[in-house]
Amino acid sequence: MPDARALPTVEGMIVAEELTKRYGDKTAVDGVSFTVAPGRVTGFLGPNGAGKSTTMRMIVGLDRPSSGTVTVSGRDYRQLRSPLTEVGVLLDAKAVHTGRSARNHLRAMAATHGIGRTRVDEVIELTGIGSVAGKRAGAFSLGMGQRLGIAAALLGDPHTLILDEPVNGLDPEGVRWVRQFVRHLAAEGRTVLLSSHLMSEMSQTADHVIVLGRGKVLADAPLPELVSTWTTTTLLVRSPRLDDLVSALRIPDATISAIEPGTVQIVGVTAQTVGDAAAAHGIPLYELTPRVGSLEDAYLALTDDSVEYKTKEIA
Amino acid sequence: MTAVAAAPRRTSHSPALSLSFAHLLKSEAIKILSLRSTWWSLGVTAALSIGISLLIAAASNDSAGAFPAVNVVLAPTQFTMLVAGILGAIVVTGEYSTGMIRSTLTAEPRRGAVLLAKALVVAVVMAITTVVTYLVAIVLTAPLLTVGLDWSRPAESLVPLVLGVVSMAAFTLIGLGFGFLLRSGAAAIAATVGVLFVLPIVFSMFSFAGPSWQWVVDAAAYLPVNAAAQLTTPAGDALVQGGITLAAWAIGPLLLGFVALRSRDA
Repeated sequence: MPDARALPTVEGMIVAEELTKRYGDKTAVDGVSFTVAPGRVTGFLGPNGAGKSTTMRMIVGLDRPSSGTVTVSGRDYRQLRSPLTEVGVLLDAKAVHTGRSARNHLRAMAATHGIGRTRVDEVIELTGIGSVAGKRAGAFSLGMGQRLGIAAALLGDPHTLILDEPVNGLDPEGVRWVRQFVRHLAAEGRTVLLSSHLMSEMSQTADHVIVLGRGKVLADAPLPELVSTWTTTTLLVRSPRLDDLVSALRIPDATISAIEPGTVQIVGVTAQTVGDAAAAHGIPLYELTPRVGSLEDAYLALTDDSVEYKTKEIA
Repeated sequence: MTAVAAAPRRTSHSPALSLSFAHLLKSEAIKILSLRSTWWSLGVTAALSIGISLLIAAASNDSAGAFPAVNVVLAPTQFTMLVAGILGAIVVTGEYSTGMIRSTLTAEPRRGAVLLAKALVVAVVMAITTVVTYLVAIVLTAPLLTVGLDWSRPAESLVPLVLGVVSMAAFTLIGLGFGFLLRSGAAAIAATVGVLFVLPIVFSMFSFAGPSWQWVVDAAAYLPVNAAAQLTTPAGDALVQGGITLAAWAIGPLLLGFVALRSRDA
């Protein structure tokens, strides 16, 4: 993990140092340090109760840390002169007065920074809530509420976006839109920090992943590195002369498991080794497929001990 | 690489966009005026006030001018003060119950400024409503009164009316202060109604308790509703005491609310 203190202050960068939040006896966030760099999408993962939302609320000054600091562009959020143009926040869909129309909500938020009506209409258009903008936010579906929350986050065209579960409740079109949009924003050089429970979605969206568990940072690494470290690559091998192939490989039986007649799964050898061995002994190969672990596999391996609310294994 | 990815850091947003207190006031004005509950509260305040004024005006015909004309306009305050206090409370507690407060405080993290802007906007909205209500009440009751308002004697007309407007704004701020302090709509409304309506009744009960309890009855003068009564008495002689008392009631809960807003997590 890079040492946050050694890095120069970069616009849009989020730096947490020994960030801690206690509620009575319970420590929700426990000495967390990380850096969220601009120009890439950083995924924030962790089981329920791991401290993701609390950390995000501390970043934007809603919750005061018990100890430690967190800064955006080198400054405490509360000291930002124009927070909405620096940081866009979606904490959850329920940060909108239910009695106010979507457009009036956005107008009121925009007014705090002197942002004009044109920009309000722009974000309404951008997030696709034009047809319901005049309706009371209380009547919105979860997905529409998310879109409104994202619209509010985009009002100030901010350098940094902090999105807590942005795709929660969105339809597939919306999920894809969020993915492409945040990737586009990161490509423009902005900082994007987003949390999600959808691992497949996260693996398509994030460049870098920070995993929290029980209030601590379990991992902070580029996504491919995280996956390769925490999962094993298995080889699917299909051949009519499997027994010959296996003995030619000279590896312990434990790493080989039969899947169906003529097909085995091998752990701990590369496809190259198997291919070379087959060629050297003239053994035909029908299939040689490396199966890379998924982000989900890596995540589950990482957080196994730190899942607070665990479901019972179905026997 | 796409053109987007190769683009330098964007410089699209205008540096003119930034927080200011004036912007914050505008935002709070949009917020309060875009809620149905506000218009209901203001409508109920106006309807109650004008309706009761008309009733009193009609009734005062029989008492042949013993009832000062300005009181015809001001008397409904005993009821409308509750609506004012409740409006003040729900302006804040509505934000807490819906989560809106998180949007508010991320847009303006200086919490004192948020409280001040809300206080100014809600007080001004209530003051304007009260001015309009009084004007309508004065016009509508004039034909019913044998002795009308005498504008040449401001102490018995303009001064009590202006102080009546100030009192309504103060009642609203009491509710607002309790809203910031207690956050829950039910608790803040209970506290507001308790202070404005219930406490005066409790205090007055001690008048049956004999002379040794007289101090409790006297202390009731320092309740907001009685302070407002002193302020709005025609040609009243306790304007300073009433003014200080009411100001303390308006500012006290707001200060406590400010401490809570600053120190507690949102």
